[in-house]
Amino acid sequence: MTTVAVARPSTTAEVAEVLRDAAARGHTVVPTGRGTKLSWGMPVEPDVLVDLSGMDRVVDHQAGDLIVVAEAGARLADVQALVGGARQRLALDETVPGASIGGTIATNASGPQRLLAGTARDLLIGVTVVRADGVVAKAGGRVVKNVAGYDVGKLMVGSFGTLAVVTEAVFRLHPEPEARRWVSVEPDDLPDAVRAVVHSQAAPWAVEVDGGTLSVLLGGRTDGVDARARTIADLVGGDVSSTAPPWWGTCPWAEGETGLKITFLLSGLRDVLAAAADVGARVRGSAGSGVVHAAVADGVPDALARLREAAARHDGTVVVVDAPPEVKAAVDVWGPVPALDLMRRVKREFDPDHRLSPGRFVGGI
Amino acid sequence: MTPGVEAVARRAREVVPADGVVDDPARLRTYECDGLAHYRVVPALVVIPEDADQLAAVVRACAEHRVPFVARGSGTGLSGGALPHAEGVLVVTSRMRAIRAVRRDDQRAVVEPGVINLDVTRAATPYGYYYAPDPSSQQICSIGGNVAENSGGAHCLKYGFTTNHVLAADFVTADGDRVRLGGGAPDSPGYDLLGAVVGSEGTLGIVTEVTVRLVRLPEEVRTLLVGFGSTDQAGAAVSAIIAAGVVPAAIEMMDELAIEAAEEAVHCGYPEGAGAVLVIELDGPAVEVEAEYAAVERLCRDNGAFEQRVATDPAERALIWKGRKSAFAAVGRISPDYIVQDGVIPRTALPQVLAAIAELSATSGVRVANVFHAGDGNLHPLVLFDEARPGEAEAAEEVSGAILDLCISHGGSITGEHGVGMDKAKFMPRMYDEADLDTMQLVRCAFDPQSIANPGKVFPTPRLCGEVPGRHKGAHPAQEAGLAEVF
Amino acid sequence: MGPDPELVDDCVHCGFCLPTCPTYVLWGEEMDSPRGRIHLMQQHVEGAPLTDAMVGHWDACLGCMACVTACPSGVRYDRLIQQTRAEVEAEHERPRSERALRRLIFSVFPYPRRLRVLAGPLRLAQRTGLDRAVRRTGLLDRVAPSLAAMERLAPRLTKPEPLPARAPAAGVRRATVGLLTGCVQGAFFPGVNAATVRVLQAEGCDVVIPPEQGCCGALSAHSGREAEAQGFARAVVDAFASAEVDYVVVNAAGCGSVMKEYAELLGPEAQAFQDKVRDIAELLDELGPVATRHPLEMSVAYHDACHLGHAQGVRVQPRRLLTAIPGLELREIAESELCCGSAGIYNLLNPEPARELGDRKAANIVATGADVLVTANPGCLMQVAAAIEGADHPMRLAHTVEVLDASIRGYRLD
Repeated sequence: MTTVAVARPSTTAEVAEVLRDAAARGHTVVPTGRGTKLSWGMPVEPDVLVDLSGMDRVVDHQAGDLIVVAEAGARLADVQALVGGARQRLALDETVPGASIGGTIATNASGPQRLLAGTARDLLIGVTVVRADGVVAKAGGRVVKNVAGYDVGKLMVGSFGTLAVVTEAVFRLHPEPEARRWVSVEPDDLPDAVRAVVHSQAAPWAVEVDGGTLSVLLGGRTDGVDARARTIADLVGGDVSSTAPPWWGTCPWAEGETGLKITFLLSGLRDVLAAAADVGARVRGSAGSGVVHAAVADGVPDALARLREAAARHDGTVVVVDAPPEVKAAVDVWGPVPALDLMRRVKREFDPDHRLSPGRFVGGI
Repeated sequence: MTPGVEAVARRAREVVPADGVVDDPARLRTYECDGLAHYRVVPALVVIPEDADQLAAVVRACAEHRVPFVARGSGTGLSGGALPHAEGVLVVTSRMRAIRAVRRDDQRAVVEPGVINLDVTRAATPYGYYYAPDPSSQQICSIGGNVAENSGGAHCLKYGFTTNHVLAADFVTADGDRVRLGGGAPDSPGYDLLGAVVGSEGTLGIVTEVTVRLVRLPEEVRTLLVGFGSTDQAGAAVSAIIAAGVVPAAIEMMDELAIEAAEEAVHCGYPEGAGAVLVIELDGPAVEVEAEYAAVERLCRDNGAFEQRVATDPAERALIWKGRKSAFAAVGRISPDYIVQDGVIPRTALPQVLAAIAELSATSGVRVANVFHAGDGNLHPLVLFDEARPGEAEAAEEVSGAILDLCISHGGSITGEHGVGMDKAKFMPRMYDEADLDTMQLVRCAFDPQSIANPGKVFPTPRLCGEVPGRHKGAHPAQEAGLAEVF
Repeated sequence: MGPDPELVDDCVHCGFCLPTCPTYVLWGEEMDSPRGRIHLMQQHVEGAPLTDAMVGHWDACLGCMACVTACPSGVRYDRLIQQTRAEVEAEHERPRSERALRRLIFSVFPYPRRLRVLAGPLRLAQRTGLDRAVRRTGLLDRVAPSLAAMERLAPRLTKPEPLPARAPAAGVRRATVGLLTGCVQGAFFPGVNAATVRVLQAEGCDVVIPPEQGCCGALSAHSGREAEAQGFARAVVDAFASAEVDYVVVNAAGCGSVMKEYAELLGPEAQAFQDKVRDIAELLDELGPVATRHPLEMSVAYHDACHLGHAQGVRVQPRRLLTAIPGLELREIAESELCCGSAGIYNLLNPEPARELGDRKAANIVATGADVLVTANPGCLMQVAAAIEGADHPMRLAHTVEVLDASIRGYRLD
């Protein structure tokens, strides 16, 4: 075990300095925001941990333009509180309490709102990064519509800190709805109910499942939302509530369990749920988007293999999001990844010495 | 023809049906420009493959002989992104136009790159779905081109751009390798390479099959045509609507001159005497649309609207949109020549920027018609001139450039949807510094180390890529000789 | 001579014409799109000599004018292609076999009497009276199957009678109308002319049919044979000169479109004549109905003939006339803007693309599931007849005016 040095920069320039220094010394680096998802991906023991919790400012909020600029270490919750003052929201869910902007980008963590607004990749419109060589660069900008140059921001989303260190991000915002309603039901046939809701014209904002429960979020103007909630309730049954169920937007696994992310084409929901039930996995997540999380207590290698088989039948994948180290060591965390060679080439260009979060990501990147 | 191009032509003739390899000079010239006709370069060779195998074989031959290639779909781009390379091959996807699948249950369609945007919607409509990105040229622009340009359209205010609607693609790299990017399901593990490819303007490779998201047709669509005395009033109405938390499917603005052109072209019946019109579309569940409509109607009235008209049937709706979507080409009726500009500003800067454009127009004597996606601050000033009159083209060029500078100084972008292409590469350094551009080109180097995919576009100065994959070394001396000419 | 550089310059290269162009839809290449053809014209205007390649791409144009409808910049492609074709005819040497075929076509089609020989009872047999050269070109083989199918599918209400020189209005006279009988229409579809006369009478029109009228010149004009077209056109104007009619009505779309451009072809002195020209549907719609419509319980797919829809902008009127018939259900055909491939003599000169387009059109028509296909051009009916007959869906063919005639007379259309 080597000693990990922790750097706590408070500006992009300071991050650049840390990275230049690390480059000079050949040190490996792992960036972290609030440390809530540091255990995700393959374990890394870097020489330097760049702790961005000191970069926690919400730099700018332009309500009229529906954008917010925040530093990577800012807590998602703090950003929400600030923009909420103008009845706006950053449509990203805090799936892990205390999550930072940077960590949410790095892991592309998503929750119920993805059905309506997508994930960080869809909301990020500008980004400032520090490269492995310490060069500061930005891409995108402060306007939602912008096709000037490559969308480097998208490469950062979900890259687990292996390409560059994100220090500042610009997001598009959504207006806060007048009202929200949740329709919750334990339908006889869950996949059928999800299907009915997804193909309805009631414009659901989120279609989530937790075990055998289906919960549908509607947002908008009060009259409209009430009417739409009734439409959904007529369709699948259930009760209408103006508060979210307690499990809403959280990961299903407990400490010590293995957390999986399963994706699939919508028509594969039944098959995936059946496979999960077979292996004893508890499922929760965005069934209406084709993305659910699952918790597995034991027998992970076998469960993973069977779930991967099921997901693959529906053009989907299973990734081990979080798990005890001994489980991670025993399984293929990322599963098969197409275009891996091209990904390695991207990595080589951005981080030729392989010093940023080495080994944490797919294919040993 | 360079020896390299000759070699590619030989290979192309082996794999592509005879009429898909074009080298007749008159025919080649018909491909000398895309929708931006004032840049013209005759390609050395045009290849029109019929499937991904043929396309990949041609690209591989290009890579082996280090011959530049440029991809082209319908040739409607407005930034010269598909401008051919004089010593290169133009790879045209217009014969790859099969809609392979429309899967309602999965909300997906799988299409070839040459499929026309509107045809995806036409294929999905019977299932109650449609393809959301709708560039004004949607009746002819291809999905492959949309992917290259990350095309937007009037409805991207609410529904997002091409990048938000493309899930997966079969992709031919600049080496001619075929890889799958993304997946039918969301969040494919690994880097979001597809996210980098969408909007890369053909500089990373060519897509040969695209999986797109289909969106449920809304229960209700309400299209309003609102007449205002001035663009200021219309702009204030837009701000008020956004501030009220309404997200319309689209809010489009046209000023007096643009209205005149559209009216002449398609007789769209826009309000007479209007200094500006807004086309506002609300869609969604009927109850929601009803409530939003009431709010929008009131906000427009409060901000000086003198006429509000709601389309009562699909034909009226189509006519309102026809006026807007034909606006660019329609300007051809009121001016012999014009530049279609495409810039973005923060929406709140609209009044200042419009005033500044008016000022530019007044001082230079160059007429400017304004058409824009007001909801997201995407301006399309149309700068009018007559090439036959000495000095006018230059003056128009200058005004057009000054408008982009305005966009940059207000924290906006030099392009919202038309792309950088050939036309705006020179403006990139005004928006991004050297490090920014260098970082973007790291991606280029990863995908296309030889810099043969649409070279000369997007970036004003190409980055020298660190290493070139080994198999390109040791080319035949004759080819080497050809290369020297190309690069 | 040649395409007008100013008209060429109007094209802004936006590409909106591409998806409406039948040959672009078929082949997906720039040179066979309106934008590409204009580009070739521009090359020629700028000094490039005519080549076989260039001429081939212009020849492949059907002249359907869908691009004119689609063009937001108002490019006059119709004029451009006509000017270009005139130049090609004058300056470009075609291969010998092609010259022979064209010569033959233009020595038969514009002449109603010669056509009638083809249309006679023995027209499908070998004893047509035309020499062997005709058959060697395959011309007859190309026409004959369509004609035979047409004959099986077309409604036969009455035996065609010779048309009178003048037919009086029923009831109060609202207008005096001259009727162009047309070459193909007159020879192959005399029932359409008879129906036209009856409907006009029923709607209060005196109908005048000058016996000396010949071809309107459309085929020649659309093929760049300008002098020939002018000769025909002048004869038509002269034939109607003494008739003192309020309107000259046409029931063949191709004829109507060229007659509405006579002033361009002959000069301003033809303007007065041109202003009187109406398509039959246009005139009936303009006059408004007086005759009672009897119910026709059937579904109708209406096909826009290019020279009616694109060239004359007549789309709404025939639909309005048809839907006014009680019991009649109108169905739209997918890809309605796309040409069926008939395009005057195009299907004789370019049988392969014409057949592909015809099959495509027929499939779209059959997909409507309608009982009857209605259109206003004899060429279109012939073009799709064989393909529709081959489909598994029984369907009749009729001209708009035949449907109206049946409704007014209270007949069934079969």
